[in-house]
Amino acid sequence: MPVPPADSARLPVLTRRKLLQGGGVLMVGVALYRLQTAGPVGRSLNPAMLNSWIEIRPDNTVLLRTGNSDFGQGTVFTAYRQIVAEELNMSIEAITTIVTGDTDRTPDGGGSYGFLEAGSPNVRKAAAYTYQALLDLGAERLGVPREKLVGEDGAFSVGGRRVTYGDLVKGRDLTLTISVQERWPAGMRIVGDPPTKPVSQYKIIGKSIDNSAIKSKVSATEQWVTDVRLPEMWHARIVRPATLGSKLVSAGAVDSKAFPTARIVVKGDLVAVVSPDEWEASQAALQVTGDTKWTEWQGLPTNAGLYETLRKADWASTPVQQGKNSKEGIRPLLDGAARTLKATYQVPYMKHAPIGPTMAVADVRDDVTTVYTHTQNAQMLRRQIAQMLGVGLDEVVIRTFAGPGHYGRSNGGNAGAEDEAVILSKELGRPVRVQWTRAEDMQWSTQSPAAFSDIEIGLDAKGRMIAFQVDHHMPAMNDNRLIGAVLAGLPTLPPPTEKPPVYGKSTLNLLWDRWTYEGTTEIMERAHGTRQIGQDASPLAIGLRDHSMRSPGQFQQNFARELAISEAAALAGADPLEFRIRHATDPRVVGVLEAVRDASGWQPRPSPAPDHASDGERPVRGRGVSMLYRLDSYWASVCEVSLVPSTGVVTVERCVVAVDPGIVINPKQLQRQVEGGVTMGLSQALKEEVMFDQSGVTATDWAGYPILTMAEMPEIKVVLLNRPEVGCYGGGSEGGNVLAAPAIAAAIHDATGKILRRFPFTPANVLPVLGSG
Amino acid sequence: MVTIVVNGAETPVKSSPDTPLLHVLRNELGLTGPQFGCGLAQCGACSVLLGDEEVRSCVLPLAEAVGKAITTLEGLPGRWARSRGAPSHGESPLHPVQQAWIEEQTPLCGFCQSGMMIKATELLEHTPEPTTAQIKEAFTTSGPSPHLCRCGSYTAIIEAVHRASAIMREG
Ligand code: FES
Ligand code: FES
Repeated sequence: MPVPPADSARLPVLTRRKLLQGGGVLMVGVALYRLQTAGPVGRSLNPAMLNSWIEIRPDNTVLLRTGNSDFGQGTVFTAYRQIVAEELNMSIEAITTIVTGDTDRTPDGGGSYGFLEAGSPNVRKAAAYTYQALLDLGAERLGVPREKLVGEDGAFSVGGRRVTYGDLVKGRDLTLTISVQERWPAGMRIVGDPPTKPVSQYKIIGKSIDNSAIKSKVSATEQWVTDVRLPEMWHARIVRPATLGSKLVSAGAVDSKAFPTARIVVKGDLVAVVSPDEWEASQAALQVTGDTKWTEWQGLPTNAGLYETLRKADWASTPVQQGKNSKEGIRPLLDGAARTLKATYQVPYMKHAPIGPTMAVADVRDDVTTVYTHTQNAQMLRRQIAQMLGVGLDEVVIRTFAGPGHYGRSNGGNAGAEDEAVILSKELGRPVRVQWTRAEDMQWSTQSPAAFSDIEIGLDAKGRMIAFQVDHHMPAMNDNRLIGAVLAGLPTLPPPTEKPPVYGKSTLNLLWDRWTYEGTTEIMERAHGTRQIGQDASPLAIGLRDHSMRSPGQFQQNFARELAISEAAALAGADPLEFRIRHATDPRVVGVLEAVRDASGWQPRPSPAPDHASDGERPVRGRGVSMLYRLDSYWASVCEVSLVPSTGVVTVERCVVAVDPGIVINPKQLQRQVEGGVTMGLSQALKEEVMFDQSGVTATDWAGYPILTMAEMPEIKVVLLNRPEVGCYGGGSEGGNVLAAPAIAAAIHDATGKILRRFPFTPANVLPVLGSG
Repeated sequence: MVTIVVNGAETPVKSSPDTPLLHVLRNELGLTGPQFGCGLAQCGACSVLLGDEEVRSCVLPLAEAVGKAITTLEGLPGRWARSRGAPSHGESPLHPVQQAWIEEQTPLCGFCQSGMMIKATELLEHTPEPTTAQIKEAFTTSGPSPHLCRCGSYTAIIEAVHRASAIMREG
């Protein structure tokens, strides 16, 4: 389906500052309503206009605009609609239109993450303000005090007279302004506290309504980003440098006999082959690849040397971050403890590995550059493209479409191909579509950083945890550089450094994993950061670029922490689940652990199991537990595994997960999202590790970076704990992927008596540990 | 210029005979159900039915598709209508596999799901009442590669295949 080019008409330019000054509080006096539509202002919507967020239309339907775009979470098509319908007292079906992610058609910006805890307050407030305005209009129309009115199904009724919201706005010119605040990079926030509906009166929140985007995807009517085709558009493939540090020596030429319409474009170290025909572009790119020469580079440590290199990295230049309740002076407790655990835990590099490689279409015109893409942060991408082109923000428009999930890769703006499409479109003077190959997506995208954590735990004579110390180490995440701009030598952000410029990212590592065993108060948690591996050694300043990936940082830290807690329980001769409950004070921590205990039929006993074995051909079995607090949600899981010691093959047989997100907005959707998150976590734990040599990532396809298949799926049992009394929506399902790795490691210990402090739990990693003394 | 049969209709196409069928479907015919996931027959995002067999359109040269009936996601409603002797032109109701995918709220990002639904259709035409083990086998070892989902929808797919089987048996 072709997409019309963006409207290129020049519009009056207003800066954000002026917009903000223009916004006051909501003016609910009827006399103050006057003409103002939610039209674009300098190719942005005015966020201080209420109808930039929510529009009630004369046919009594509602349009909602959000800067967040959907990556499969479905939140904007389910929870957001439910929240709006609830606050407005309308049916869910009345919320018919959702505009997501486009920089010229949505008001708020910010990233497509934290949908519920970060994004939902805006949606709720916009709806609540709108309802207040409707009450005023209704009171005026019906001639009764607003206190007498209660909306029902999109209408007010008094004494036999009924007026719909649509009737109230029909033919009216309304100006409703609200106060907003820009919170970079989280986007616009609506301030103030309009009255909201009490949780006890919820009728729509809590129901399993369908995700409205699923029907269009299933029935082939969705417009995916991959479907965008513009008139005169050409296709491009990039010819990548031979290594992550290679400079161009000489670019090959296109064999014009074989590929008559293909052309080569070279800009710095960016080499591309373009053609009106996609197949010709990809064939010609292969031919040019063979004829293009690059300098050699070998500056990476390889997988074998990774953890040694990480250990020796410069952790001193980046300020150490301490956990909230960390205390100096716990050393004597650790030294004097009756029993101590001292161990190091390792997490490999992992790929976001979207099922479709990144792609984008760009159309660079004299006055506006439009990028058609699938990004988790359109406003950030807009800023990056403007920076690269040296133009004002108003000259860049980002349009977002459905696409493959990225799991955080594009939450700092780009997913990879956008800037390359812009560079090539500018060069050719026509729209260009850049499609990365599977190999490029494995080798040239960012990844989740590797990490290691040193932990010490002290137990007293009764087996109580009296002190806990952790030092988490992880190279910088969130390298938001435009890789095409780096190769072409165009302006872009610097890589993460100790002292980043505005909008740049630092090497700081944070305490992502909140301590959940508050019965133990003598704790010291530190997070250490450093630069990305290979970044300084690469002549291109590239190296192994990292980016946040689902539950970023916390994934790495929680693996170490939760496995260490299971080990401490074993050292204490205690059941690992009861050990956790005994050290918790927060009733929600206890509640979620009890829920997973009951749902899994957990029988208390210490690990390892009485019949554990680390050799032989007979399968041995074990179970392990893990828990997590993330984004106001509490999680616990039990994984049951079987393992054949002679082969080292680990099979997960059952996975039971309990989650307490506060208010459960949509049980069916949450269940599906939790299953998805848990499955991703199983995949990470059992299979995933980025393999690399001294020159770059060696995985080029799904054989080199395997993920879980359906045959490997255990039974997953999900228990949702709805806690309306908490009054907040929690963090959806993001944390679901964190649980499996530490629980499976604990289960392997239960089954074999051996501890694997790194994953993936592949035979290559399992066998050496089983064979150790 | 060759003619291929897509979703029940004879369709002339201009692409060169070595062009992968996926590019022909998406770029020339605007049939955007099948997706580009790997181009290597490793994921199943591009799956279509050739006759009654699931194939990877990303590696199938156009020349090899000539003379065989191609069904894409767009063609599933018509295929279901034809299998029951109902007229297949105009608006046919969704295929039971599609209905089940909606009822079970199966897709997450959905990018892999066109291929998943094609695979499910192939399976259910051969095995109307598959066990969970048969479903796992079909989606993992029966084709050139496992059908991969990065979002983790496998549990939902298994449930949806069982539901589609029930809908198909009800007719
Ligand atoms: S795109 Fe064809 S199998 Fe992956
Ligand atoms: S639903 Fe996203 S890859 Fe399968």
